[in-house]
Amino acid sequence: MPILPDWAIQALQVVTILAFAPLISGIIARAEAIVQQRRGPRILQPYHDIAKLLRKQTVLPAPAGPVFRAAPYVSFAGYATIPLLIPALTNFPLPLGYEADFFGVGMIFALTSFSISIAAIDSGSPYAQLGSSRLRSFGAFNEPTVIFVTFVLALTTHTDLPYAFGATIRSAVVEVIRPSHLLMIAAFFMLVLNETGRIPIESHGSTLEFGQIEEARIAEHSGPGLAFLRWGSSVKQLLLFTIFMNVLVVPWGLAPNGRLDAVALAIALLLVKALGVGAAVVMVESSFAKLRLYKIPEFTVASFMFAVLAVVIFLFQPSFGSGHLSVFGASATIGAVVVLLLEYGMLRSPDVWEQLRLYSLGSATVAALAIATAATGRGSSELYVLGAVTIALKALLFPLGITFVLRRLGSEPRVPSALGAPSAILIAIALSSLAFIVLRPIRIGGVAALPLSALPLAVGGVLVAFELMILRPYAPSQLLGFLVLENAVSVASLVIAPGLPIILALLLLFDVLVGVLVFVVLVQYLAVERTAVRTDVLNRLTG
Amino acid sequence: MSWSLYALMVVPLLAVALTLLDGWRLARAATLVAGVASLALAIAIASTVRHGRVVLAAAGWLRVDSLGAVFLLATGLLYAIAGVFSIGYLAADEPHPDFPAFARRYFTLLNLFGWTMLLVPLAADFGTLWVAIELTTIVSALLVAIDRTDAALEASWKYVLIASSGLGIALLAIIVLYATGTSVLGAAYVPRFERLLAHGHGLSRDAVSLAFVLSVVGFGTKVGFVPMHTWLPDAHSEAPAPVSALLSGSLLAAAFYAILRFFQVAAAAGERAFAEHVLIVFGVVSLVAAGLFVIRQANYKRLLAYSSIEHMGIIALGVGFGAPLAVAGALLHVVTHASAKGLAFFGAGSLLRGYDTKEVEEVADAGRAMPWTGPMFLAAALSLSGLPLSGVFRSEFQIVVGGFANAQYVGVALLLVFVNLAFFGIIWHAGRMVLGRCDPTAPDGGPAVAAIARERSAWMVAGMLGCLFVSVALGVHLPGALQALLRNAEHRLVVPA
Repeated sequence: MPILPDWAIQALQVVTILAFAPLISGIIARAEAIVQQRRGPRILQPYHDIAKLLRKQTVLPAPAGPVFRAAPYVSFAGYATIPLLIPALTNFPLPLGYEADFFGVGMIFALTSFSISIAAIDSGSPYAQLGSSRLRSFGAFNEPTVIFVTFVLALTTHTDLPYAFGATIRSAVVEVIRPSHLLMIAAFFMLVLNETGRIPIESHGSTLEFGQIEEARIAEHSGPGLAFLRWGSSVKQLLLFTIFMNVLVVPWGLAPNGRLDAVALAIALLLVKALGVGAAVVMVESSFAKLRLYKIPEFTVASFMFAVLAVVIFLFQPSFGSGHLSVFGASATIGAVVVLLLEYGMLRSPDVWEQLRLYSLGSATVAALAIATAATGRGSSELYVLGAVTIALKALLFPLGITFVLRRLGSEPRVPSALGAPSAILIAIALSSLAFIVLRPIRIGGVAALPLSALPLAVGGVLVAFELMILRPYAPSQLLGFLVLENAVSVASLVIAPGLPIILALLLLFDVLVGVLVFVVLVQYLAVERTAVRTDVLNRLTG
Repeated sequence: MSWSLYALMVVPLLAVALTLLDGWRLARAATLVAGVASLALAIAIASTVRHGRVVLAAAGWLRVDSLGAVFLLATGLLYAIAGVFSIGYLAADEPHPDFPAFARRYFTLLNLFGWTMLLVPLAADFGTLWVAIELTTIVSALLVAIDRTDAALEASWKYVLIASSGLGIALLAIIVLYATGTSVLGAAYVPRFERLLAHGHGLSRDAVSLAFVLSVVGFGTKVGFVPMHTWLPDAHSEAPAPVSALLSGSLLAAAFYAILRFFQVAAAAGERAFAEHVLIVFGVVSLVAAGLFVIRQANYKRLLAYSSIEHMGIIALGVGFGAPLAVAGALLHVVTHASAKGLAFFGAGSLLRGYDTKEVEEVADAGRAMPWTGPMFLAAALSLSGLPLSGVFRSEFQIVVGGFANAQYVGVALLLVFVNLAFFGIIWHAGRMVLGRCDPTAPDGGPAVAAIARERSAWMVAGMLGCLFVSVALGVHLPGALQALLRNAEHRLVVPA
């Protein structure tokens, strides 16, 4: 088998990505159409489009200058450079791969986007400028997300070369389910959706003015310029998919040496992995609706939240545990993260039924944690009883009971909020990080069933529950805030006090039950006497 | 002697059962008997444990020592007198068509509330302690809302939400304490007080400090420490007067009892200085804030509520000073404050029935219009301010002297300044209410209600006389048995286990 020289593999990386990018776009468009039960365009349609546009004449808008004319080529040049710097085909760094690290790749992406944006402004068309300004505003949280993702990479490998991280993941399969890794994947996937202009940010390829961000920016281009812009955007998509798969998720299947068969296999696997991401994108596009424009910051803040949690959990891992990762430990920490994330969900949710559903899910997760702790022998078998009672009481009885009472009262399900969802989530992120920082120097000692990194997550959950109570001046939401607080404390007790006698745990649950009954009675009084259960009108007694 | 613990648990529940039967007259009689019986049992238990004996029951799940007995006395006293007072207090509502149902509901909840508060000093471990205090929150929230007015609902909602959240933090404190205990007591154990105290030196000091701070913040929400006090003025002013008396006099102290149990464990673990420091900080902040709020109040029940916050601050300071005399003074203050605050709130209730308003401006010349209530309300105000002849003077004096003994000059200075400030505020308002003349020739006509105010019920007067008697008796002469009890209780807090 002939060994390919390094420069050849390097060139092959660029050629592969440039050549196959429109194919990936075509396959995704076709697959999406089939899922939506349409016929859809030909798979090779993007190639035909590029060829057609190359033959066409360029029409310039009147105010356009050299910036407008040069932008498509500048951006395409940037996209052509990036395959040199990322692990596309090989898992060892190629010579030019050292020219820029992860930050460098990010900056080149930024350069391309910037050139297209100023070209849009240069065109003088209000529609194009609208797209530019929207991208700048809604993209504000993409940069911090990228930076935090880079932080996780850097913290793991002490460098930010994309190649090094793949080696860490390949070293042990259990690394894949490391909690910070999974959160980073979630953050980056949302970032990919954002950057490639997919639902829920915008409808890819449609030209409805109200929601367009990407499409609006390139609206004034034509002819070869437009051909390179469209090609460039599909290259960008494939690049993001490649980074996502080859660096973060599945860094296997890359050529370990320069042999021709290994490289050919790497090319094939690259396409397969890109199609895998494409499948996920198709599912997201077909399952969700496009977000209204002013709700897009919620989405970007959510991706930021995942990235911050990934960093915080990773950063404080050594303080909280032996650093040795087991499957149970990782799953348990993910369980605690899920409980916290469901609280975030309750924080942004606009109606009370959704909050009740999320609470029910959270309680079920806590019960699952209890049962798993008992099942793996880290806690006594009394925890089975606790898990069962938790499901019966907190996951079923409370939500159903509260739903029943609220429906009978006929009260307004929309929950007023003192702050918008993105601001509330940012505060919640700050509170969770605070919990980690505060608990770090404390040595609790004693027997821990779940990994100790779940304890700051639980305490963060307590703080976010307080935020929920404060920001939602609505009686049922405040009641849910209290119940969520109990859930977070239950997680904490599972972590550091799994041996708490079952009789005390049951007594506590019974107590919470009685508490909920009283809360519900008061909610009824409030609704009947005041015809509303908004608690921000309760401001008569002051001083 | 463990029969007395069982009796103490059973008697209020029997009363609850009786109140559920038809007939509100039976209910009020049952409440009266239950209250007096509980007081008698509390005194019996207190005299048994006063020299250090510990009474156990229910396989060790119920336990009373001298420290708990102090709080039992405070609760029993007010429970008994509230029973007497309620008879008179509710009498004004008798013509109302809904009265029988309302009265039965009221007495049921009152007895249930008394039961839960009696349970708190009887708990033998931290878990049961938490459950008991959470139960007191829940039952008293229903009592605060019993009038179903807008203001009462607002107060009740704030109370139950804030107090329950605070107790959530307290639960976290218990879990942290439990976790540290596993290193010496094994993975699964019941967190009984004596066991944790016995092994206190083996606990992680960091974690115990964290647990103590969490407990002060968590249980301190129920005690009324500033800045977690925001529910207190509302709840104590909107509840019916006997309930307010129980809330202020007994419940705040019961929540502080929980903090004292954490304090014992912290001291055993070697963190006594830190714990005292924390208590002094919260005590001073509460004292300062409450003292300032007392000066400017329009509602005389809110005035008394802020006075409660101030006195809880004084108790915290007493324990924080650390000298045996100060700690004994703080524990005595629990009982004396209960009697004085009870007198004050009962007086407020009687004034409310007489004048039908809660505003200070609207009440005038109570000294002449209501010849029993008026003077006794003024006596309550003087008593709360710590003037001699009242028990509060004795306990505050002990705390001050103890503070000097331990060189806590800053704390003592702040205590003296703000107690005087509160004195000024309370006397200013109470004096105007009781001694101020209503002037019909004034531009706004003066308070017109003064003309028709009169004593409404002998029962209310009797209740107030009972409280006054206890308050003055404690000021004039401290019975030897009570002294021994206090000395033993202070011993448990000051001397390492």
